[in-house]
Amino acid sequence: MDASIAQPALAERVNQFVEWLFDGYKPIVPKGPKVFNDALLGNLLFAKQEVAVIDTPVMQRLRRIKQTGLVYYVFPSATHSRFEHSLGVATIAERCFNAILDRSRVEGMQLNVDSDRTKGDLAHLRMAALLHDVGHGLCSHASEQIYQQLSDLRDFKKEPAYVKNNPGEILSYLIVSSKRFRQWFDEYVVRGCRADLDLDVIAKLILGKHDDPDRWFLANIISSAYDADKLDYIARDSYYCGLALTVDVPRFMSMISTEKYNGFRVLVLRNYVPLEQILFSKMTLTGSVYQHQKVKCLDSMLRSMVGHIIENPKQAVVPIRSGFVTFADPVQYLYTTDDEFFWQPNGFGDEYIRGMLDRFRNRDLFVRCLEISRRTVRKEDWNEKGRQPLIDLNEQPNLLEEAEEEIHKRLPPAQRSNCGKHDIRLSIPGVPNIKTENALIQTGKGSKVQRIEEYFPLEQWTDAYAHNKWRSYVYAPREIAPAVRDAAISVLADRTGLEFNVDISNQACHL
Amino acid sequence: MTTAQPAILPDHVLGAVLALAQKRLQEKTGKSRLAFRSHDFQLQEIFNGLRKNDKYPILNAFVFSDSGPEPYSPALNESVSRLQLSGLIDRENPDYEVVFVRPAANRFFDEVLKNRFDPSETAQLNEVASKFLEQVSTV
Repeated sequence: MDASIAQPALAERVNQFVEWLFDGYKPIVPKGPKVFNDALLGNLLFAKQEVAVIDTPVMQRLRRIKQTGLVYYVFPSATHSRFEHSLGVATIAERCFNAILDRSRVEGMQLNVDSDRTKGDLAHLRMAALLHDVGHGLCSHASEQIYQQLSDLRDFKKEPAYVKNNPGEILSYLIVSSKRFRQWFDEYVVRGCRADLDLDVIAKLILGKHDDPDRWFLANIISSAYDADKLDYIARDSYYCGLALTVDVPRFMSMISTEKYNGFRVLVLRNYVPLEQILFSKMTLTGSVYQHQKVKCLDSMLRSMVGHIIENPKQAVVPIRSGFVTFADPVQYLYTTDDEFFWQPNGFGDEYIRGMLDRFRNRDLFVRCLEISRRTVRKEDWNEKGRQPLIDLNEQPNLLEEAEEEIHKRLPPAQRSNCGKHDIRLSIPGVPNIKTENALIQTGKGSKVQRIEEYFPLEQWTDAYAHNKWRSYVYAPREIAPAVRDAAISVLADRTGLEFNVDISNQACHL
Repeated sequence: MTTAQPAILPDHVLGAVLALAQKRLQEKTGKSRLAFRSHDFQLQEIFNGLRKNDKYPILNAFVFSDSGPEPYSPALNESVSRLQLSGLIDRENPDYEVVFVRPAANRFFDEVLKNRFDPSETAQLNEVASKFLEQVSTV
């Protein structure tokens, strides 16, 4: 795991990770199917070969990764895991599949798909849904925002074959198609459970693809504007956060169908209203949960710890079973989970890391020093100068870190000696990601397939919402907040040309 | 501390194309504001067509997918959203069909972006801007 050793290719490093996961694991062929009780979806039935997959360390580690990262520090019930979400997505994917078949029969259309649970299309679809999130690492998307900027994962994103996939999907794909996983799958699923499944089809479905254009809609069920993943996490995240958001899943199911479009059989909606609901719910979750100022603060504190570990690989390594990691490359974020990182009985690392772990343990969080928003920036600057230099910082982590270091440098000596450079965090949110590429409407069988934008401006509503809700913050420990605010105002004026109304910012930040 | 060199991001390429298209429109028609009808999927079609021309490697900033019913560039999609978020472009209510380039885009191009592109890249951007103007319906 030593970052100084020349790195093998990403796929090989992922295979090493899977080898490490399987080390000491004694696989068995399950006796039969199992029922899982889920708080959101009720009793979920899993076939024998699915139980085999669920029992592997590849899936079991998802129990120790929270679905919404550090959100539970703000919404205490949001302790649900990637594991239960994965079970939910498999179930919802099947419901989508069955709903499509039902509608095709009612509309007198022959769909050439196999709904056997041990082989064929439905079995592949469920397996892909079950495995779609195995590439998630420490704190889910919170660490994904950090490691996506690292080395070879960025190169993957420049390949047309992977450009549409987020880093977690690429890592899931690499885990599922790794040599070690394939070896286990052939022995225990294909032969042990007599399940005639092709792992290549499953891996491609995770990327939102299918080799057969007539079955492309199956890929849409896994990855599209209205995929099973979204249907589960919107309902699950809002339920566990205690927010009364509605996604009318039964109505959605009654409205989905398929149609040939540019040579591919794709998923279409007979009515756009269910998609509107998905959009509004996702936007509400983004504003009130995923980009909640305290959640962004927690994500920033995690970035502080990771940044310190990367810069101090000797003192601050993260212990794992039979080794350690230093977060120097994307795969290393898979080796540790939320539970193992935050809750080791004696902590780990050097004084800085131990101090940060104490902060998390006691919920002694950084505070807002400065709000950067349309409310707090001088109106002429906001409207006339544009915020692109600020937004660019989010796309260039080296420049972001440089700005943070500059704020640290400009602190008065007394305050500077009381904090490290990683204690000053500039958090700039990106734009919410809504995939509209596959959002197609066909109001009746045989009628023209139209894009969602021709019915309502989905992307533009998202953008308008993001525009109005968008706020960036500078965070730091409470005791140095006023000094950090002043230094940040000076650095941001130099780097972005923005000037602030300090009184309004102070009011927003309770300073 | 050494200052890191700012990279050329997809946002900068799109921002430059739109700012240069506005300048070109002003030269041709005297109009000081570039506004055009376009949904995001239409921008995808235009840029996908333009990047197929080997003369414009600057457009490689927008990688298009090679699978599925149609090519799609998430980078282009996100750039449109970010330029809107940054106040360089905007859309007119209530249909959001009309995109317009705000004065801040010209200022950003003149004061920041212009110096980041070398002469060959600037020449490519100028050509792309002209072709872009031919393909959109200005209002």
